[in-house]
Order: sequence, then C-alpha cells, then structure tokens
Amino acid sequence: MKDIIQIEHLSKSFREIEAVRDVSFRVREGELFAFLGVNGAGKSTTINIMCGQLKKDGGKVVIDGGDPDREPERIKREIGVVFQSSVLDGALSVYDNLESRASLYSICGAAFKERLAELAEALEFKDLLKRAVGKLSGGQRRRIDIARALFHKPKILILDEPTTGLDPHTRKAIWKVISDLRKNENMTVFLTTHYMEEAADADYVVIIDSGKIAAEGTPYALKNAYTGDYITLYGADEAAVGKLGVNAERINHGVFRFSVPNTAAATELIVKHPDIFYDYEIIKGKMDDVFLAVTGKTLTGEER
Amino acid sequence: MKQNLILIKRNVKLFFKDKGMFFTSLITPAILLVLYATFLANIYRDSFTSALPDIPDFPEKIVNALVGGQLISSILAVSCVTVAFCSNFLMVQDKVSGALRDLKTAPVKPAALAMNYYAATLISSLVICFAATLLCLVYTAIAGWYMSVTDVLLLFADVFLLVLFGTALSSVINFFLSSQGQISAVGTIISAGYGFISGAYMPISSFGEGMQNAMALLPSTYSTSLVRNHSLRGAFAAMEKEGVPADALAGIKTSLDCNLAFFGNDVSVQAMYCILAVTVFALIGIYILLNAYKKKKD
Repeated sequence: MKDIIQIEHLSKSFREIEAVRDVSFRVREGELFAFLGVNGAGKSTTINIMCGQLKKDGGKVVIDGGDPDREPERIKREIGVVFQSSVLDGALSVYDNLESRASLYSICGAAFKERLAELAEALEFKDLLKRAVGKLSGGQRRRIDIARALFHKPKILILDEPTTGLDPHTRKAIWKVISDLRKNENMTVFLTTHYMEEAADADYVVIIDSGKIAAEGTPYALKNAYTGDYITLYGADEAAVGKLGVNAERINHGVFRFSVPNTAAATELIVKHPDIFYDYEIIKGKMDDVFLAVTGKTLTGEER
Repeated sequence: MKQNLILIKRNVKLFFKDKGMFFTSLITPAILLVLYATFLANIYRDSFTSALPDIPDFPEKIVNALVGGQLISSILAVSCVTVAFCSNFLMVQDKVSGALRDLKTAPVKPAALAMNYYAATLISSLVICFAATLLCLVYTAIAGWYMSVTDVLLLFADVFLLVLFGTALSSVINFFLSSQGQISAVGTIISAGYGFISGAYMPISSFGEGMQNAMALLPSTYSTSLVRNHSLRGAFAAMEKEGVPADALAGIKTSLDCNLAFFGNDVSVQAMYCILAVTVFALIGIYILLNAYKKKKD
C-alpha cells in the first residue's frame, strides 16, 4: 500500500504560539487514520495545511504524490472534508446545497443528478432533498455533510470530529456508511474524534499534544505500550484476592477488578493461582487510558 | 460558466431567504418615507411655493410632482447603495458561518468566488431596485406625472449605474470584514450615514460651503443628482411652460442639487455619468486586485 499522505517536519506558528512543531507522519491508502489530541493540540492547523487553506512555516506535505501549495486544484479534488460543525447553508434546501457544492467540482446537470441519486441511496436522504438544511436533525445534517464531502469521489475523506454531539444510534449509522465506503471504494479516512472507541477501530493512531506528536502506532501497539490489562474476577472472596498481592477494587459482591502490566503477567498470575481464577475475564486497556497515559489529559481537556 | 451560474443562484437565493438581511436593506428607504410622510413633504411644498413668483392658477400638480420627484430620487439613490451593501454582506456571512472555508476546500479560484458574489449582489440589488423604481413611478403618476419616456429610461439607466456603484463599493468595503459585529457596524453606518453624504436626506445645497466642497469629492453626491435630474426634468419643463422665470427655476434646481458645482465649476449630467462610471471601474479594479493579491492565510 502506498502512502497517500506524507507529512514531514511540519511546523506552523501563530505569532509566538507554536501550533504545530516538527510533526511527521504517513497515512497509507485505504487506511482509517485517527489523529487525536485535545482542542488546541494542532489537529485543525494540520488539517488546514493539508487542505491548502493555511500556509505552513516549514516542513513538507505530500498528498497523493503532490504538494498542496504547488498543485492546489488537483489536491483539492482528491480531498473531501467533513467539518466539525456543519458549514452548509441552513436556509437552502438539501438539493440546493449539494447542487452549489457539486458545481465547485464542475459536476452539473445530468452528472449531478446521477451522483445525487447514488449518494441519496447510500446515505438515505432521498426524502430530505427538498427540506432546508437548517431544519434537519443533527444526524440528518451530518449525512448531508458527508454527502457534500463525497460528491466528487475524493480519495481521502477528512472527518473532523464527525460524530460529536450525535446520539449513539446515529453515530453507528454514520460509521456503517463510512466503513462501507472504505471497503467498496478503498477510500482513505483521516479522522479526528473525541470518541476513543472510534479511534480504537483505526488502522493507525497518532496522538498530538501541544503541537508535537506524543505517541503513534496501531491501537493494539499503543495499548500494549501505554496501558496494562484489566482482570475481573468473579465469585472470589476478599481473602483469596488478598493472596494475589494486587491492588484489587471490589466492584460488587464477589466481583473484583485489578490491573496487571501486560497479558504475560496476567497469564503468570492465573497459572500460579488456578484455584482463584475459575471465573474471570481479561481485557486490554482502552484508548482513553492510552490517551491519558500519553498526554496526561483526557480528551475533554482535563489534566490528570 | 454553468458552475458560476449555480453559485450566483445560491448567493441570490440566500439573500432573498434571509429576511433579516432583506429588510435591513430597506431601512434607509423606510426612514426617508417616514421623514417625507411626517414633515419633509410639507416643508418642501411650502419652500417651493414660496420660491415661485406669483403666477395665477399655478397648477398644484406641478408642486406635488416636484415634492414627489425629490422623494423618489432620494429613495432610489440610497436604496441602490444600501440594498447592494446588505446583499453583499453574504460574503462576510460566509466567512462567519464557515461556508467560505467549505467553498475554498474545492478547486475553485478565490477570484471566481469573488466575482460570483459581485454578480449575485448585482442581480439581487437590481431586482429590488427596479421593483422600487416601478413603485416610485406609480407614486409619481399619482402625485403628478410629467416624465417623458426618455426620462423613465434614463431613470432606469441611473438605477442600473447606481447599483453597479453600490455593488462595487460594498465589495471593496465588505472584503475587509470578517465578523457579525462588523456587519452590524457597517450596516448601521451605511443605513444612517449614506443618506446624508449623498444628499438624499437633505440637499447638499442646504449645507455650508466647506461641507459642499467636501461632498463634491464624493462620487455618491453625483449619483443622487443624476437620479434627481431625471425624475424632476419633466416637472421643471412644465414649470417653464407655466411661465416660471429662468432664474427662479435655476434657483429651485440648485436648491434640489440638480445643478452641482465642483469647487465653483458646474458639473454637467454627462460629467456625472463619467464620474460614476470611472468610480465603478476603479472600485471593481480594486476589488479584483484585492482578491488577486490576497495571500493564503498566514
């Protein structure tokens, strides 16, 4: 798989504030790439530079083999962006919004109607075409935002916190659409999100903190590197758990939970105490734990 | 081409769907109507009557036509500019709402977007101002009709030129705006101030000499005078027929800003057209240059 996005030593300052500091990463074609960081970490700045909307101070950005500064028109055709908050015209109908945005890519007339029908089918908004965007629910509006970003069949879809504020059902529905698109059209998805369970499904994760990359890797590697495993013991008594020599938390009557450094340590403990471990479960740490361990912050911006 | 037409359609639709913006653009004409309805019409009527020499059976219809002509010329002169400003605020609102950011993620040149805003503002403003002109002509017909077909056609030409001027001026000023607060501030200043500096609320002749000279430097002064010349020409001709002496007529024309002077030199109607046309071209040129040299955000 080729690298569709290459960022090398990217830097950008706004006067004395260094928004992006020597950031380098690569995104492979067809990958779901998660770019995580608290507000102000440098995510949007990086995205704006990638989209050719902001000038970089230094470094190199290559999108689909081209430099956004030198080939802005070609690169812009390869990128679709779903912004954090909807930027469509609330007063206009869904049809009018999509017609005007499609025209930016010279998709007019029959070509527009054909693509509209495809997207309306895939994203289930056929019945919404005549309704004003401003009167749609959050989930409906998000689907239209995604349709707008996909209208010109981009190779890269940038999703800037696409499901923030949506109910779980709508989030699930939107992710199904995005997954289908990745499978069917080998689309690369560049995601920023506040929902760690969404990042857990990514192929690769980069965590940015104060403009610098704080950690990167697959979710599995990050979990192994930055979090331990959690063991939940069922039907155990306090005396037995005490023998394990761990700092266990009592969850319920006969239910205890404790952490171990890794799966090997968990296995060692289970093998050593088979009499205690007759009903248990082991789960890996979550991406929230990874984020907290790496940045010392939660994704809502609270310091540890 | 089709891309531009669709974007222009988007901008025009947004203006007419935004009732706040639409009604804001009509504030200044509304102020003028209220001013005339409450006291200005009577003041001007008395002023014209007293300025006229004693002519027996002088038709009141002509006096009404004079007052009406002044009202419609003032309304049209300010509307062409305030409507254009309000319509063109869309370019600022697109910055505020983030729509412009969305438009700019697409492979479309900023200059093309800028010209689409210009064209859409021109269309929206022309629709409203031509409709206003028709209403004004109906009013004139009721008050006292002395206009010729040429006057009517020239009045429409004036409105077209003034809308071009208002659109170009608003494009240059709105280019620098980027927040809702700035929209409100500029909207208020234009609505309240343009009527004064263009001589629509009070004729420039009623100001002191220094002020008159200062206002002679503004192209807006000539825009009002152009409309006034064409809306009142028929009434002046009728006055002449009724035997109003030439010097009295000239005095009335000067008091209504139909005769303007630039530091002591008379400015003809043709010169007024030239001043406005050159101003429009200069403003459009500035607008194009502003967009062409606008650097990507630092």
